[in-house]
Amino acid sequence: MGIAQFMTDEHRSCDDHFAAAEQAAANSDWQTAEKAFLAFSNDTLTHFKREEEELFPTFEAQTGNVQGPTQVMRYEHEQVKGLIGKLAEALEAQDRDAYLSLCESMMILLQQHNMKEEQMLYAMCERLLPPDLKEETLSKMKQVEL
Amino acid sequence: MFNQNGLSLDQAPPISVVFRFFLSGSLFGLLAGTFICLFGTDIFNPDTTQALIITHTLTLGVMLSFMFAALFQMLPVIAGIKLTAPTQKANLVQYPFILGVLSLLFAFHSGKPAFFMGASLLLGSAILGIAFVMLKNLIALPNHSNSSRGMSVALTSLVVLTLLALYMTGTLAGLWQGNYYTQIKTAHYSFGLFGWIALLIISISFQVIEMFYVTPPYPAFISKSLPQRVFGLLLIGTVGSFFFEKTWMVIDLFIIIFMLCYALMTLRRLSQRKRPIADATVWLWRLGMGLLVLSMAATLDTRFYDVASLKALNYIFFAGFALSIVLAMFYKIVPFLTWFHLNSQGYFTAPMMHEVIHPKTAMKHLYIHIATLLAFTVSVFIPAVIYLAATLTLLSFGWMLWQIVHAWKLYVHTQKTGEKFEMNIA
Ligand SMILES: [Fe+2]
Ligand SMILES: [Fe+2]
Repeated sequence: MGIAQFMTDEHRSCDDHFAAAEQAAANSDWQTAEKAFLAFSNDTLTHFKREEEELFPTFEAQTGNVQGPTQVMRYEHEQVKGLIGKLAEALEAQDRDAYLSLCESMMILLQQHNMKEEQMLYAMCERLLPPDLKEETLSKMKQVEL
Repeated sequence: MFNQNGLSLDQAPPISVVFRFFLSGSLFGLLAGTFICLFGTDIFNPDTTQALIITHTLTLGVMLSFMFAALFQMLPVIAGIKLTAPTQKANLVQYPFILGVLSLLFAFHSGKPAFFMGASLLLGSAILGIAFVMLKNLIALPNHSNSSRGMSVALTSLVVLTLLALYMTGTLAGLWQGNYYTQIKTAHYSFGLFGWIALLIISISFQVIEMFYVTPPYPAFISKSLPQRVFGLLLIGTVGSFFFEKTWMVIDLFIIIFMLCYALMTLRRLSQRKRPIADATVWLWRLGMGLLVLSMAATLDTRFYDVASLKALNYIFFAGFALSIVLAMFYKIVPFLTWFHLNSQGYFTAPMMHEVIHPKTAMKHLYIHIATLLAFTVSVFIPAVIYLAATLTLLSFGWMLWQIVHAWKLYVHTQKTGEKFEMNIA
């Protein structure tokens, strides 16, 4: 499995947790919502860390471009983290309307971020990085923990 | 570097660029409703001036305005294209565009060559100008997605259909003879309905269906080549029609098949979405796809039965398809942008999406929209109902106008009174 496939799979699995949490919150089943939301936020934050600590620096070193796409991605990670905090507050308060409203923003933000990565950044990594470096980066990414 | 002018925001155009086109679109919608009040069911007879006027109020005034809004917004998001000086460009497009549409409507009404001349200059320069700028940026892209490739094809269709329109307005302005008027007219509306409106919706949907509703991506046989194929068919139809009168009969058949494949696949993707909550926009997409299917069925039927009512229904279904998708996009884009811009500017008090437009407000518009479409459909058989349809059209666009004004006010209010959070991460 290559970098693009592994990371794309992670995006999809985060989507699943997120959707489960949203549906549970819509049904006011807060216990299930909390469990799914925790899985979502843990996985997402770990995924971000894999990118910020391993993938992006490798990409930047290879292309010599530190101000380009990776910088945009980092900024968007901050926005998503901000929303995760707000979602957690709404969950804590069991504020259904606020939670669902924040979900809406989160999904648009996160999906367009993921698409940019999948269509551009990961694709460029697959194309530009030499095979050994790809393997090395992937195994390093897998070791990253929160 | 992560201050209020964050990088991501840098890519998005100012909110006013997008909102101004939504505003002019809904104002033209109100104009369309007024015309329908005045013209009654004459609008269903394609040979009347009234039909021409209402068609162009809807396709140019309403649809093109909304599509400009979508393009200015989606090009940075979908293709990573940053248009330089977007506000200035939007102004340069919008003012000549509005004057051009009005001039064209006067021209249809009065038949005066001077108005056709004015419309040609204003609309020609505004539309071709912005289309070239956007195409130039799209062609320069190093990495294409299916969506950005499709948008390039749709914009090329816009260029073609505008050039064809200029041939006709030039003829009516007395600049030349216009020996090929009939063939050009068919090519013009085929490129307009399928090459531009349908293909732009299709290309944008390749991205937004997945993004808004979290669905599997479209299969490659649709997303990789459908826009290019439809465009190719339209070209063949146009050239062929100069030699064989029946060319479009065959071409339309293929286009219908492509449109049906797309509509059915979209319905399937919507049923596969991971986010199970069905808000108004999900229903608007479903409604739009259903209407596209009906419209294609009606197009097929008009091959065999040359019945006026069938043509009128086709007209209603296709317009309903396009407007449903516009509404679906509108109810995602307006709340998201309001929240996104304020949040990125660091306002604590940025309203959440549901505070900008509540889901129930969008649902109410869905019901108004369905009622409008039903009224139009009934009016084909009971002409008096057209006045109900016209009133509902006014209500529908008025509703939209109110949402934009409300969102804009909220945006300005938050900027004036909101507490700001200075992010100093670096
Ligand atoms: Fe990321
Ligand atoms: Fe990622």
